[in-house]
Amino acid sequence: MLCEATGNAFPADGAGTEREMTAKKKGWFILFLVAPLACIFFSLCIGRYPLQLNVVAEVLWSKFTFGLYSGPDVYQNIIWNIRMPRALLGAMVGGCLAVSGAAFQGLFKNPLVSSGILGVSSGAGFGAALAILLFGSLSATYPFALGFGILAVILSYLISRVYKTSPAIMLVLGGVIVSSVFSALISFAKYMADPYDQLPTIVFWLMGSLAAARYEDILIAGIPMAIGTAGLIGIRWRINVLSMGDKEAHALGINTGLTKGFVIFCATLATAGAVCVSGIIGWVGLVIPHIGRMLVGNDNNVLMPASLSLGACFLILVDNLARMLTGSEIPLGILTALVGGPFFVFLLKKTKGGGW
Amino acid sequence: MSIISVTNASFGYNGVDVFSDISFSVQKGELFCLLGPNGSGKTTLLDCILGTLKLKNGRIMINGQDSSTFRPGLAARHIAYVPQNHERTFPYTVLDIVKMGRASHTGLFSTPSRADTQLAKVVLRDMGIESLQDRPYTQLSGGESQLVLIARALVQQTPIVIMDEPTVHLDFRHELKILETMVRLVRKNGITVLMATHFPNHALYFQNNGVRTTVAMLSEKTFLDIGTPDEVVSNDHLSKLYGVETCVVNYPCGNSMHKQVIPISTLD
Repeated sequence: MLCEATGNAFPADGAGTEREMTAKKKGWFILFLVAPLACIFFSLCIGRYPLQLNVVAEVLWSKFTFGLYSGPDVYQNIIWNIRMPRALLGAMVGGCLAVSGAAFQGLFKNPLVSSGILGVSSGAGFGAALAILLFGSLSATYPFALGFGILAVILSYLISRVYKTSPAIMLVLGGVIVSSVFSALISFAKYMADPYDQLPTIVFWLMGSLAAARYEDILIAGIPMAIGTAGLIGIRWRINVLSMGDKEAHALGINTGLTKGFVIFCATLATAGAVCVSGIIGWVGLVIPHIGRMLVGNDNNVLMPASLSLGACFLILVDNLARMLTGSEIPLGILTALVGGPFFVFLLKKTKGGGW
Repeated sequence: MSIISVTNASFGYNGVDVFSDISFSVQKGELFCLLGPNGSGKTTLLDCILGTLKLKNGRIMINGQDSSTFRPGLAARHIAYVPQNHERTFPYTVLDIVKMGRASHTGLFSTPSRADTQLAKVVLRDMGIESLQDRPYTQLSGGESQLVLIARALVQQTPIVIMDEPTVHLDFRHELKILETMVRLVRKNGITVLMATHFPNHALYFQNNGVRTTVAMLSEKTFLDIGTPDEVVSNDHLSKLYGVETCVVNYPCGNSMHKQVIPISTLD
């Protein structure tokens, strides 16, 4: 679906009239709105217990029209209590990681930066490991992962405060330092953990999974994710200007300190919210924005919504593979790279990189 | 009427002064050349006027307002900036780049309007580079990208444009093209241009073309001299400023006289 669209992603020189351009833009927006919904619907059908498309449609239809569903209860149960929360959570986590990654790449003027650059992932990882060590239960991991993820970013930000401003390179440096400290702490937690019980829990948490998805998780973690994403989508055009560098952005009329702080705040909320329910899922926050760049160009005005949508679709589809491929679940962190890597190379060849 | 006036300005990094106690004013509609060797503090002085750096002492008035009272972003309504060397990371299209000039006129959570896009296109057409509109600006040549950055500054619609060595790294033709563009900005658009340069011939070029020009020579933390190119661009001053023996010539070419500086040799 996406590959078909790449052919006309870049308007021909001068030939595209105003109306054609806006029509094209509208087309993209509709596609990006519909694609995640289609992916969610698709993922409701597949699994250990395959459901026909029309069965899924009937179950959904009866809910939305407040009618009674006459079919077996097990269908409703599978769709509403097992597959739906997982698909929704996958869409939210994927979208948040990708949109934060795109925001950070613009903010740091660096295409190699991902959503975890300021240490939020390793901080959250340590928080989760600590919670597993202390309480042995998975429910305590949410607040701990969220809290330590945010703490890591605050530390990175404080480290970067030189001359009362935070230059991008200092922020990245602060993030690298904080990440490595928390990575060491994660290793220490693993070393201290009970090897038969706690260690596997920590290791699986770190590899990422949506298997434990429940509606409560969506509600709790959904709040930071929604606030963060809404903020980033709102401020998206200013990220273009920020990517010109502090001095030029200031001369163009942007309050650079405040705008940067806002972007970091929103991206951190979105990423920490995502990581605390799903564990560490790499790759999405780095490469999905680049897939977006190849498809729609680099203007964050279009790129950020595109990344949100592509990230959501990608993670839903990968999660479907995770639960379908083998008898037991494959951790998501492994599959994102295994599936995404070849797809990325394919797109790179097809679009010639889109102007890079 | 002076549109920029700087009084007793000093600035230093970590206690080492870059310039100290300098005063000057820029008149509306003139081309003000800040002339000096590399490392003389031209860029630092421009940064202070732009508000990126804060003066240690002194005051800068822009359009009659004290620039230190400007809230972030307000200076962009008065002054547009064309940077010296611009690091190009993402392949934005030329139109996207030019539209960024509208940031000070665009709300925090909004994007440039259709009118902003139209304005960007008009400016590109005026500058004769509308064919570049959809090109990724990472693929442009140095001269083309300098024109695009000037277009971005014009879209800001400010009375003042600051240019930091706008012709650096450009070839023979493109250097002239940028100088011609600057002459047009001052003459046709009535914009006040403040530029930093290390070529004395730039100041003479503007004078040769009948643009009201002032030259300020920045050397050893203060101004060596300030005045019209005729008054200050002299063999004596240039040897003090650059340590170069020069010969200022006035040569008839067609119907007009062209004043130029010819470098002879370096002095010890």
